[in-house]
Amino acid sequence: MTLRLGRHRFDDDATLMMAIVNRTPDSFYDRGATWAEDRAFDRVVQVVEEGAEIVDIGGVKAAPGEVIDAEEECRRVVGFVERVRSAFPDLVISVDTWRAPVARAVCEAGADVLNDAWGGADPALVDVAAAHGAAIICTHTGGQTPRTRPHRVEYDDVVADVLRDTLAYAERAVAAGVDPASVVIDPAHDFGKNTLHSLEVTRRLGEMTATGWPVLVSLSHKDFVGETLDVPLTDRLTGTLAATAVCALAGARIFRVHDVVPTRQTVDMVGSIAGRRRPARLIRGLA
Amino acid sequence: MSADAAAPRIAVVPSPPALLPSYAGRQDPLPEVRAAAVEACRWLLAPGPSEVVVLADALGARVGVSLLAAAGWTGAVRAVGVPGEAGVPPDPGAPAAPPDALLVVADGSARRTEKAPGHLDGRAHPYDERTGRALAAGDAATLADLDTDLGVELLAAGTPALRALGALVGTRSVSAEVDYEGDPFGVAYWVVRWTCRS
Repeated sequence: MTLRLGRHRFDDDATLMMAIVNRTPDSFYDRGATWAEDRAFDRVVQVVEEGAEIVDIGGVKAAPGEVIDAEEECRRVVGFVERVRSAFPDLVISVDTWRAPVARAVCEAGADVLNDAWGGADPALVDVAAAHGAAIICTHTGGQTPRTRPHRVEYDDVVADVLRDTLAYAERAVAAGVDPASVVIDPAHDFGKNTLHSLEVTRRLGEMTATGWPVLVSLSHKDFVGETLDVPLTDRLTGTLAATAVCALAGARIFRVHDVVPTRQTVDMVGSIAGRRRPARLIRGLA
Repeated sequence: MSADAAAPRIAVVPSPPALLPSYAGRQDPLPEVRAAAVEACRWLLAPGPSEVVVLADALGARVGVSLLAAAGWTGAVRAVGVPGEAGVPPDPGAPAAPPDALLVVADGSARRTEKAPGHLDGRAHPYDERTGRALAAGDAATLADLDTDLGVELLAAGTPALRALGALVGTRSVSAEVDYEGDPFGVAYWVVRWTCRS
């Protein structure tokens, strides 16, 4: 379906790169590389040049760690969203937050998307999205409390659980007044999941795309890649791109990434193999 | 002016399948060739002919019809085949004299560079130069005399159509305009407009 992300609209067949921009000193992959606001801004400039349609700005790392309250989270992201909004009017700005008060402040500062990695932990988040015409990402966490790691989680059928929770979240968002064209579902690899769960969700992603809701996947350098290939954090791009290809073939629309260019190439290549995207240039055998 | 309007118009355009919509990528690899060819078709159509005769092989006819459509033509098209090899008889539906609007879809050798579809053949350049000079000069006799066998060896798919063009125009006086000449992918392309004066 046509996708509306705040002030931006995208065609049915568009695939989108959502580049991760951390305003954190401790996120797992970049380890504070963009903690300083100017470094974070440089990162935005870079990913825009690389062709990202969306930036996903986060002020709190997902893993357990130092407690960051809503005030501190706002200090990290609200002014930054304003700065990015004024510098890049055509860029989709997403903010990675589960808290309604933070969401309200960033929407007022110009955010288009609320990326709720924690599956609706704050029930008022959908009301903020509705009030501001923002899109919302409905993730599956298996009921995990924000910023906790999965511990001995089991599912009878992980995909059935993902579908039940994300669709219920999507319906709750629509019931709250969010535009149905602004609702995205995300299985949330590694969140409330062990590696076998994340692999199964990847393998069966077509069951999510078949619902008709646009699907976001966040695979970049995650532990399920590291465990599957027995590679450290610095050596997970190949596995990330393999998982990306499988999700792209299944019809995922939004890819939350650290590496814009290789992911874009992977998704475009798969899109052309699948017959959904014309190749860039056709002259071989046709001159 | 009125005599010019009635004079038969002939456009020569190339036949790469890359010009067909079914082979379109996200970028056009032949923007200059396409623009010149469509513009030449518009010129062909400007006097308002009752039909357009397309002189081409099967692929050329597809490309020609597509270019005419891109130029806005929705009227009748009569495709006239050309003998593909020496000894094949001419199309019985071929006109005896140049019609009001004739689109010839033909190109030169596909062996002009090492990266060309047919790799490099040293004979390609002199062969195409002779064709190009004849097209630029309105020299029908030279076109009618193009070497069919060498054309086959040089993967010059347009040779039969150009020979047929030469025979059709015969000794009529021609004014010629060359809009494009090049070989961006190792195949010789021309976009040329001829007006028959007598």
